[in-house]
Amino acid sequence: MHLNDPHLKRLTPPKLTLAEKWYLPQIADGLGVTAKHMAGVVFRNKVFTMEYPEEQHVPSPNYRGVHRLNKDEQGRVKCVACMLCATACPAHCIDIVGATAPETWPDREKYCESFVIDELRCIYCGMCEEACPVEAIELTGFYDLTGLSREQMIFDKAKLLSVFDATKDAEPMRFSLPPQPAAASTPEQRTSETG
Amino acid sequence: MATIIINGEEHTLPEGEKLNAIQLALRVGVDIPYYCWHPALSVVANCRMCEIEVGSKDPKTGEIKMIPNKLVPACQTPAKDMTVLVTNSPKVKAHQRMVMEYLLINHPLDCPVCDQAGECGLQDYSYEYGQAIHRFVEERNVNPRKDVSDLIQLNQDRCIMCTRCVRFTREITQTGELQVMRRGSHAEIDIFPGHPVDNPLAGNVVDLCPVGALLDKDFLHKQRVWFLSKHDSLCTRCSTGCNVSAEENRGALWRFKPRFNPHVNDYWICDEGRASYKTANDLALLAAMYVRQDGDLRLVPIDQALNAAGRGLARAAESGGTIAGVMSPFLTVEEAYLMASYLKGLSPASVLALGPVPTRGEDLTIQPDQHKGRTGDTSFIVARPFTIRAEKCPNRRGVEAVLEHFQGEVIGFDDLLRRAKAGEFQALYIVSDAIDPWIGEAEARELRDKVEFLVMQDTQVTTLAELADVVLAGATFAEKAGCYVNADGRLQYAEAALPPRDGSLPDLDLLAILLGRGRGPVHSRDILAELAQMVPAFAVAEGGKIPAFGIVLEQPEPVGPGVPFADPWTQPRGLKGDRPGETSPKGSRNA
Repeated sequence: MHLNDPHLKRLTPPKLTLAEKWYLPQIADGLGVTAKHMAGVVFRNKVFTMEYPEEQHVPSPNYRGVHRLNKDEQGRVKCVACMLCATACPAHCIDIVGATAPETWPDREKYCESFVIDELRCIYCGMCEEACPVEAIELTGFYDLTGLSREQMIFDKAKLLSVFDATKDAEPMRFSLPPQPAAASTPEQRTSETG
Repeated sequence: MATIIINGEEHTLPEGEKLNAIQLALRVGVDIPYYCWHPALSVVANCRMCEIEVGSKDPKTGEIKMIPNKLVPACQTPAKDMTVLVTNSPKVKAHQRMVMEYLLINHPLDCPVCDQAGECGLQDYSYEYGQAIHRFVEERNVNPRKDVSDLIQLNQDRCIMCTRCVRFTREITQTGELQVMRRGSHAEIDIFPGHPVDNPLAGNVVDLCPVGALLDKDFLHKQRVWFLSKHDSLCTRCSTGCNVSAEENRGALWRFKPRFNPHVNDYWICDEGRASYKTANDLALLAAMYVRQDGDLRLVPIDQALNAAGRGLARAAESGGTIAGVMSPFLTVEEAYLMASYLKGLSPASVLALGPVPTRGEDLTIQPDQHKGRTGDTSFIVARPFTIRAEKCPNRRGVEAVLEHFQGEVIGFDDLLRRAKAGEFQALYIVSDAIDPWIGEAEARELRDKVEFLVMQDTQVTTLAELADVVLAGATFAEKAGCYVNADGRLQYAEAALPPRDGSLPDLDLLAILLGRGRGPVHSRDILAELAQMVPAFAVAEGGKIPAFGIVLEQPEPVGPGVPFADPWTQPRGLKGDRPGETSPKGSRNA
């Protein structure tokens, strides 16, 4: 937009009153808020700071922390290597190598041979979770992520699966079964109805 | 002048072409969806997707009469004078929705694991012409995947029975390995036990398949197609020079797909060519430049290696010795031109020779069945043969044309080898870029002993490179842009698909630096323009411009038959503005 664009709206800042020009009333107001909080701590035991690490913060259920790779009922990685998360990722931090599923997995066509997330590059936007068609990747509430080198912060498939093992009790998978449509009945029900 | 009326708009028919309604509508920017129709195959009209309302206009009274009560397959409807086509009426749209629902009845919802996703006719047409609901509540047919050959996998439950693959093996290769077995909803594509689809063009059934039923096992589950960037390249595996699209992601080639060229390869490529992309991904390619110092090859920066090569060759020329240059048939014409002008510039007595021309077996010509009906592509009414050449290099004729201009004759490699062994040459500059080994170890050592100074420019680590004084790392076919002349004398342009690998430079740049042509990269188009000016044989490439289908050196034809063709689902979407409601640059689409 150019400076002399006719759609530009020009605003003038409001004029200060005498009291505002003096500033002292505003300072007194601010100090009043501080005094109220101090009184709350002293007399009503209302403490806001948390004694971390002795005391652990529990984030809200939709907090977006470290990723995990979910496992299905048989303990296999749920990921089908469709690479939709890598496509959706705005930070390009996901690297997947797909492969044909082993012969012993008759219900599966494809799986991820390698699944690497660069946790340093990730912006924790949660787009991968949104894009995943099989609920294989989820962001956990795990937030205190530390490492001593950049290499440590590049999570491979084994590490991402171990995040699942560590967090699955606290945060169960959001969908363990595909959601059933309300109207359609399962085949078993139908055969019992007709036969 | 013949006119045709599509959706109320009058269009002029192209002169002298017999088109069907699909092809004609495509020319004027109206999409008629189709699956089973292909310009090179007979019309079966069994997918029912292209059905439209057809009628005719009386030229005298101007009255329009439509065929009452029914829709007609557009693939079977010839575009004649005064034909009236309606492709966007509510009746046609309802029919398209119905056909899409029917085709998707047994189709599994496995787009996330299907390799076709992103270039799938079902995905695209389901979005554009289908409907979001699915009323089929019975269990879907489940049909396990099976192998129809060592290279091709068939996922039968994804198949929509368009029978393009069956018609390809019957009409084009005439091997007939594939057929439809059983009937109705049990119908499936299959082979006879023990007779896999192993003809030399077998891989094309994968390209023909509009859905993910037939898949290339070489590409299976490796990449998603929307990650691949396509480059208009040429296959260098034989001298036919098939037009291919080289598809690259993350600095590696992943596959070749054929590109339509009615003068060379039509819609096909052979399996050997299809697999030849792998040579560009070879990890053992020459990755640095070397200069021999105190008897050992030492790794040096590119400029030092080039200086050493230039100094050595110039010294040989100054001391009155003869320089010999070997120009391999894997070079582009631009590179051959620069190399010839470089060596002839050093000393007019320099000897230039054609490098070894690899041949294997005999030419194999596949003659399609002439008696099967084809529509749509007039140039394919008489099906053209497809030839796999025995000459396994892309540019023998181009290099020969350059050699003939510079020294009036073409010296073969054997001839040069004989003269080199006789001690005739003081310095030897070999540019190879060949894929297969072409000289034995003993012969290489003998050759080395007879010349004082040897410069080897190559992509492979060979015996001759280990013996050379200067080793320059050149480019593979995928890393260089330039023109090749195929066995029919057609000059065609190939784009570079990959950046030069670390430690190497494209041959064109190496030669330009040796020639001292100034700083910065050189463009093959500029060199080609110069070549067209200097060498009469290449005069047709004036200004460095070559038409899309290439141009024959000896007898330039005005404009060849055929319009670029590709199935719509293989084209990148989202760029054309062809979503419903958006304005399309092509005009009246989705009106």
